[in-house]
Amino acid sequence: MSNDILVITEHMDGKFSDVSFELVGKAKELAKALGGQAAAVVVGGGVDANVFASDSTIQVDDAALSQFNPEAYAKVVEALVKEKSPKVVMFGWTVTGMDIAAWLSARLGVPCAAYAKDVRVEGGGIVVSCQAYGGKLTAEVAPEGETAIVACLAGSFPAEAGQGATAAEKIASPVDLSGLKMKFIEMVKPAGGDVDITAQTKLVSVGRGIGGKENIELAEELAAKLGAVVSASRPVVDAGWLPRTRQVGKSGLKVKPKLYLMLGISGAPEHLEGMKGAELIIAINTDKKAPIFNVAHYGATADLFEVAEAMLELL
Amino acid sequence: MNIVVAIKHIPSIADDVPVKGNNVDFDSVDFVLNEWDEHSIEQAVLIKEAVGGTVTVIGVDLIGELDNALHLALAKGADKVVKITADDPAADSHMQAKWLSEAIKGMGANMVFAGVQASNDLDGQIGPMIAAYLDMPYIGGVSSVEANSDSATVNKEFAGGAGAKYSVSMPFVAGVQAAPKPPRYAPVSKVRQMAQSATVEKVAPSGDASSGLTFKKMAPPVVTGHAEMIEGSSKEVAAKIVELLKSKGLA
Amino acid sequence: MLTPIEKILFILLALVSAGFTFHGFKTIIDTVRKGRPAPELKNIPASLLKAGVTVLFQRTIFKARKALSAVHLGLFFGLITYAFVNLFDVLEGLIPNFDLTYSGKHLAPPAWTIPLINIYSLVSDVMSMFLLIAITIFLVRRFIVKDKALTYRENVLLNPKVKAGGQAKDSLIVGVFVIMHVTAHVLSQAYRLTEGADPFMPFASFLNSIFGASETGMHVAWWVSIGWVMFIIPYLSRSKHTHFFMAPINLGLAKQNPRGQLDPAIPLKVIDGRKYDPGAKVITDLAWKRILDAYACVQCNRCQDVCPANFYQRPLSPSALEVNKRYLLKEATFGSHPDLLLAPLTETVISPEAVWSCTTCYACVRVCPVGNEPMADIVDIRRRMLIDGFEIDSGVQTALQSLATNGNWMGKGKRLRGRWAKELEFPVKNATEEPVEVLWFVGDTASFDERVIPNTKMVARIFHQAGLDFGILYQNESNAGNDVRRVGEEGLFEQLVEQNMAAFGKAQFQRIVTTDPHSFNTLKNEYPQFGGKFEVKHYTVTLLKLFEEGKLTVKNKLSHYKVTFHDPCYLGRYNGGFTAPRKLLELLGVEFHEMPRNCENSFCCGAGGGQIWMGKVAPGERPAENRIKEALSTFEKHPSDKKQLFIVTCPKDMVMYSDAVKTTGNEGKIEVRDIIQLVAEAVGVEEVSPIVG
Repeated sequence: MSNDILVITEHMDGKFSDVSFELVGKAKELAKALGGQAAAVVVGGGVDANVFASDSTIQVDDAALSQFNPEAYAKVVEALVKEKSPKVVMFGWTVTGMDIAAWLSARLGVPCAAYAKDVRVEGGGIVVSCQAYGGKLTAEVAPEGETAIVACLAGSFPAEAGQGATAAEKIASPVDLSGLKMKFIEMVKPAGGDVDITAQTKLVSVGRGIGGKENIELAEELAAKLGAVVSASRPVVDAGWLPRTRQVGKSGLKVKPKLYLMLGISGAPEHLEGMKGAELIIAINTDKKAPIFNVAHYGATADLFEVAEAMLELL
Repeated sequence: MNIVVAIKHIPSIADDVPVKGNNVDFDSVDFVLNEWDEHSIEQAVLIKEAVGGTVTVIGVDLIGELDNALHLALAKGADKVVKITADDPAADSHMQAKWLSEAIKGMGANMVFAGVQASNDLDGQIGPMIAAYLDMPYIGGVSSVEANSDSATVNKEFAGGAGAKYSVSMPFVAGVQAAPKPPRYAPVSKVRQMAQSATVEKVAPSGDASSGLTFKKMAPPVVTGHAEMIEGSSKEVAAKIVELLKSKGLA
Repeated sequence: MLTPIEKILFILLALVSAGFTFHGFKTIIDTVRKGRPAPELKNIPASLLKAGVTVLFQRTIFKARKALSAVHLGLFFGLITYAFVNLFDVLEGLIPNFDLTYSGKHLAPPAWTIPLINIYSLVSDVMSMFLLIAITIFLVRRFIVKDKALTYRENVLLNPKVKAGGQAKDSLIVGVFVIMHVTAHVLSQAYRLTEGADPFMPFASFLNSIFGASETGMHVAWWVSIGWVMFIIPYLSRSKHTHFFMAPINLGLAKQNPRGQLDPAIPLKVIDGRKYDPGAKVITDLAWKRILDAYACVQCNRCQDVCPANFYQRPLSPSALEVNKRYLLKEATFGSHPDLLLAPLTETVISPEAVWSCTTCYACVRVCPVGNEPMADIVDIRRRMLIDGFEIDSGVQTALQSLATNGNWMGKGKRLRGRWAKELEFPVKNATEEPVEVLWFVGDTASFDERVIPNTKMVARIFHQAGLDFGILYQNESNAGNDVRRVGEEGLFEQLVEQNMAAFGKAQFQRIVTTDPHSFNTLKNEYPQFGGKFEVKHYTVTLLKLFEEGKLTVKNKLSHYKVTFHDPCYLGRYNGGFTAPRKLLELLGVEFHEMPRNCENSFCCGAGGGQIWMGKVAPGERPAENRIKEALSTFEKHPSDKKQLFIVTCPKDMVMYSDAVKTTGNEGKIEVRDIIQLVAEAVGVEEVSPIVG
């Protein structure tokens, strides 16, 4: 066992995601408090791994890891954790991290704290602050045992603290990656022809409160008047009311528009992850207790249809 | 094709979630089916409709009220439903995943589906844990599964419509993000018919696992900021928003 | 008159005609019998008799289009007269010397019959003229003026043969028949007048003065007249004019249950142990009465005129539904396509979009002169679509899912239902915990919609001030299910009924009062089918009673308001609750003006039957917007500076019309208010700002 922290970074198309830097930065802080080292783990060779401020960086290079493969990545991480027996293994609670963190927890019989927003050291161990029940509650949990997995929400820590130039040590895969049951076939690009919501300066974003597919038109009208594009929260996309290219949030896209006008979005944590960087957030929701009002700059408890229609007349 | 869908009964987050001590006050909260489970059930039924097979839906009955969700699954096209009678509303994901794995073990599943996540997955989701306990590979964020004879083509979502296709040999576990089609509506008469005629197989919980997390505190989040609220009628709200946008050169 | 050969020919032709006629009507009866059992009718002879009287005075057609209805009246009496005329014509033909001209002097009748003969001659002669005038008006209306009311919207599903002008062909044939038949008859009489004018036959005498008398002419005219009849009677059974025979019968067998009570999704009575799936997929899944409807309908399109969905340019026409049904049946039974009986209704008689456009306002059923219930077909089709997994509107699905889990359609937690009551300055009793006199059934919109809650609170304050011992069910109340049932979700409706019945079971109360007409309707008319027999009142009745008992008094007369009142479908047309709101308004002292469409003929706001869950779906003016304009034009006839109010007594109306005032840009000109707001102002109860907490 050690007091080290292992950060499982994530990358795509040759770029690390912000959450990787956020985690490395936090890991350094924790390692310091615990008297250990913060090591970044890069699974896959196709990326320049000399970008972290970690105490060390390990890059596992294997042909089988050239693309994200949940089975292969999980096996590699498992082997590394077994080998290093760190105090804490940090993942991003992201579409890739979510595939591995809980699996590893069950596999190794070590605790896992998901939806983590903050981690602090207390009495030689760690205490994790987690977002629970769709953001309605916050739980503070202390993992038992010698190793703990912490899966953090993107955007929880500053990314700058993790940026550096630590030279990565390239290693071969610590496990045999032949005979995988899961094979990567191809990337699927977003359906062509649709707008790129990440490139927009203004978004009118609709949530479950829009009620039905028929009402999307109203948002489209409003967006057209504002020179904006319609985006949406996950339930709207899952229901098939808008294409997936319009989804903002954890499993959708991260956006940073100048204006983010939210109609009927209550503000689930997964959604907030994707839009809290917007410059001006205005939220309209009928529920005065909607969590979005804790994040938005301006809010109104009102009927979104009435407001949208009234705005259409004024614009 | 033998598909098992593992579901989770969770406290409703439609209202405030009440707290008692360091955990949710399970006595004064309604339990509902995890919304992602509706998608995994839909995905399973779609496969069954496409290539045939059976769909078994299994969940841990935490408060003795799981039957309705199971009858609903039957009405939507599941063939068999099983509940693990735990009667422990506080059972965490590890515990549930262990019990589910023990029950699923003998079912000869080609595929096991679970919702990609649930709002009470504080210690992680049951899908990857079931995979770990059953020694199957796991893939999450799944938006479509096409079953071939002994493998499946699985689409995993990354972000904003981008994703990747994988070929996965059976058996495996998939965490379903969204079914290719919105979950169907099950008319209540069918659900009630199922309630009268169908049998819910009962299984006693077997095995033991723990999240290894000690709950130190559970409370509504400390609100750090709050939006400046615009008061008045909808018309007034609209006027103020438009004014605000104009002042910032956004309209 | 006829020669022996002619007599033989006539008898042979008559037999052929009778054979075809018998076959025609037997086919219709057999087809009607293919339908499912309808709710049992009581005392059918009495109903038929009553319908006969109604038909005789043509009472039901005068609900709309008064002038054209008068023409129809002329046509009707003309044809009735002609039933006798034809009989006598046949007798003239068969019996030598049977001749009624000149007071029947060739017949040498008993003296007492002479006045009768004269009356007959005069009536039949004059009626002939009326008939010709009436049929000409109808033909001109259809073929020259081309009255839009007789056509369908482009987007309405129509049987190809209807589209190709099948109905016009029927009209033309019947029109030509009437003209030729009547003219020939009168001519046949004219040709008989060998001795100049008959004072009791002015029309025939006039023709006689032109054409003179002629034996041959008489024979030819007789054959033309009677020949047409022998052709047309069997033809009628195969055309839209089956109406002549089926309309009175259908009216006699019309719905006897309360208007607000839908027939069950599965018939209560079973024939030959048949198994029934809920609702209707194919035409024989409809109750026999619904099949009969198709034969009674003559596509006058009065239903289409009053249909809010049709107004909203949606592809629904109740009349098209009936004509499509009849054409389908005709092709299946008279034609060579028996397989059509197994064709899905949604592909042959009504489009799925039309099925989901209906607001279940009952206007079509109310206005139908022949007792048809197209709305019942629509609900039955919805029922089966839901069972068969038809992909329903996403808004409806969301609402139904919420209703199934939360007991309300707004996605709110059960526990929040009574939250508004906790914000009041006095406690509201929980009727499941302590006995109350009045159990107030609040409903979803009034419980959860922030726009309506201030009115809900006001009702509570007024009840409180009047000392009414009332309580609510808090989280034990579920949506009453009225609209759920009309969307076709019978199972969910039953579930909601059971939940509410359980809640009622826990409570002690004397009567139920509800602020929601939709809840009112189902509680009053449908819960009894499930054993829930309660006294149910709409709050307007309760308020009126409180005034009459002196428990509420008008302190401030509201003469500064000019108001009109919108009758909610489920209070007015369905349950006849017209007087209480009007009496209340009178008590309050407002200046009251009735809109042209009021009471039974009120125009639906467009929200019922699940439409409120579907959002804006079509371009063009919405029913509610049209209604606001109607109110404004009513006010324009009584100009003054008074504040103009549109008074509603239904939470859905509050939402729909407030919206419509805005979308029509009439804010400032007219304001939508619940009647409770006026009552509060009159009795001096102030709006209290909510306790924030």
